Amino acid sequence: MSELLRTANLGKSFGRHLVFSNLNVKLSAGKVHGLLGLNGEGKTTLIRILLGVIPADTGSIYYKDALLSFRSAAYKEEVGYIPEDPFFFGGMRVGELLDFNAPFYRRWDGRRAEELLKRFSLDRRARIKTLSRGMKLRLEMAVALAARPALLVLDDPTSGLDVPTRHDFLQDIIRELADSGTTIFFSTHLVHELERIVDHLFILHRGRLILDEAYETVKNSIRRVRLAFPGDSPETLGVDGVLVETRDGPRREIVVYPWTDDKKKKIDGFSPTLFHVEPLTLEEIFRSFVAG
Amino acid sequence: MITIETSGFIPIYEQIKKGVKGEISLGVLKPNQPLPSIRDLAAELVVNPNTVARAYRELELEGFITTRKGKASFVAENSSSLIRGEKERFLEDVFDRAIAEARKFGLDAAEIRRIVESRLKRQEKRSEGEGK
Repeated sequence: MSELLRTANLGKSFGRHLVFSNLNVKLSAGKVHGLLGLNGEGKTTLIRILLGVIPADTGSIYYKDALLSFRSAAYKEEVGYIPEDPFFFGGMRVGELLDFNAPFYRRWDGRRAEELLKRFSLDRRARIKTLSRGMKLRLEMAVALAARPALLVLDDPTSGLDVPTRHDFLQDIIRELADSGTTIFFSTHLVHELERIVDHLFILHRGRLILDEAYETVKNSIRRVRLAFPGDSPETLGVDGVLVETRDGPRREIVVYPWTDDKKKKIDGFSPTLFHVEPLTLEEIFRSFVAG
Repeated sequence: MITIETSGFIPIYEQIKKGVKGEISLGVLKPNQPLPSIRDLAAELVVNPNTVARAYRELELEGFITTRKGKASFVAENSSSLIRGEKERFLEDVFDRAIAEARKFGLDAAEIRRIVESRLKRQEKRSEGEGK
């Protein structure tokens, strides 16, 4: 699988506050990468560094196998960005915004821009300040996609949108993926939105990546195990990789990653009266990892 | 109608495969009929196009669909007989498990046959009853 971008030991502090250190993030071409983390864990900081908006304190970024200079304009042209709160000159019209952006990008595709306006039902003559939040997001997307980005970075773009608008937005992203095979780096706190489209999962927690794995692998090997024992439940089950554990008399519930046959055998040895194994949703996976 | 469930054990691409096979066996999708494009189905189901592509690829390997030179995929000519075969294998598996259970209880072949016969008769009677 070909690598589009890689960071090596990226670190960033603001004053004495360490945001993260030794971050190694790899983005594979044509895949959807989800970045999850609680608020204030540095998701936006990481994104701003990847975009070249702010420099990292330590470490480096490689794009298409070449060391990236912080000031590289060529790189910035290949990266599309959709922020949480898009900024527009509100007095501008939709068409003016496109015409304003076009000369900044060598890859700008005028025909594509018009197609996107049509698909998103955006009127060239409409004043941006009159658009709804959802339509502004679509305008932002039209601008980003008309530049034919190799990498599309989304920083929690759907927060504050209603459910149907978020659904439409996801469908637009899916069409873009199918049409252009664009690599996507998607940060969101609305976890269930990612569930159906994410290929690779990053969880940023307390300054480091506590998960960096193909979503399918995580989904297939993380399990919630409900147990009950005759009498009190054993002091320790002797199983590692327990992310969450709750005990209530003879009952016990654990979330284990990865869940293996060996661990099953070990627990079987305690002869539980209830032994129920079930999968987790992405939302539950995320909560389990950041619970510790 | 294919529906996708994300909370269970079954991967999304398996659910898509099952959905397409279901539509073929119900006759909603007929031999030589085009399937929705990967792009359209992905957008409709709100899933990653790579996932739909994987489902289509596997359906093609299993012979249920064919992909012609361009991009479109079609329901294969002999898809319904493949599905009959698959159902048969599924049923064989169900019977195998039932027989294994019966052996655990110490039943011999004659007793198992008697049980299967009596269940069949009972079903037949019931459907006759419904016919009236």
